Amino acid sequence: MRNSKMLGCTVPVAVWRFLFPTAGGASFPVITQMHLKGLMFDPYNNAYIVVLRDEEGHEMLPIWVGKAEAGAISMALENVAPPRPMTHDFMKSVLDAYDAKVISVVITDLNENTYFAKIHLMYEDSEYTVDARPSDAIALALRSNAPVFARETVLNKQSSEELEQWLENLKPEDFGKLDS
Amino acid sequence: MEQPPSSPDQGLIAYKVDRVLDETNTDTKILVLSRQDGQSDTFPIWIGAAEGHAIKLALDTTLTPRPMSHDLIKSIAEHLNVHVRRIVIGDVKNSTYYATVYLENNGVERTVDARPSDAISLALRTNAPLYITEDVLARRNTANLDLWLAKQDKNSMNQQEVRES
Repeated sequence: MRNSKMLGCTVPVAVWRFLFPTAGGASFPVITQMHLKGLMFDPYNNAYIVVLRDEEGHEMLPIWVGKAEAGAISMALENVAPPRPMTHDFMKSVLDAYDAKVISVVITDLNENTYFAKIHLMYEDSEYTVDARPSDAIALALRSNAPVFARETVLNKQSSEELEQWLENLKPEDFGKLDS
Repeated sequence: MEQPPSSPDQGLIAYKVDRVLDETNTDTKILVLSRQDGQSDTFPIWIGAAEGHAIKLALDTTLTPRPMSHDLIKSIAEHLNVHVRRIVIGDVKNSTYYATVYLENNGVERTVDARPSDAISLALRTNAPLYITEDVLARRNTANLDLWLAKQDKNSMNQQEVRES
């Protein structure tokens, strides 16, 4: 199978076509596979930050999420089995009930307060794309062992200056806890 | 309308969401369900703050700029042509209520176990009916309820109508 090399991440062409069925040959949006680097509390904004990083550690993408969403991600990260299904476990159960699969999640845009992601589902040989917040999409991806990608435009938007400043404020130990 | 599920002995009583109350000094909310068949009854369920918020958004039909978690579940179901037929609160163990979500797709019915808060949050968004089994109604935790009613009395927060008959 022919593969496309994108910023260090190899994605089969079939998957790429699936993710971007409308894209023409030359204008594929470039996506990079991201891994969950950690989850930390941002005391300045009283929110949580999900930190995604690419394979080589060149690209870092912080996503601010609410407390409940952070909890949903943290439970999946730490493999905690709650006594009752939490909201995203329930979400996964609905998919499982009809044998629908999460193929991948793509973070498509991060504006100031409006974050966008797409969840790509496979059900009965058909593909579906569902609009979601990145926090929900990531919480579901973690429970489905589905890969998470970010569009290059999202990574570029995060100006390096801003990111460096933000990273300087972080203590090294902030990263340690949930690092996998 | 189709008949409610399974064994005919298992009486199902229709309820609807009445309101979500704040529990003072704790991170919990009280989801108040009210009986729909003419009999006056109120059924409180203690739920988390986030779950209460999700239900409030649906109750007030608040439009959020981005889909919230239960909007996403609804959206996933819609994409897959899965319909939420009904929600049944069918068990209680150690003061924890258990809900079952009845789904249907092309005549194929599936059930999914859920917390009542998630089930109800989804039911409100899909206009699915909500039932409580007679068994659960008989075994409800009245200790909690008495405590709660006492608190309501003390606070006298204009909740007089929320009362056992």
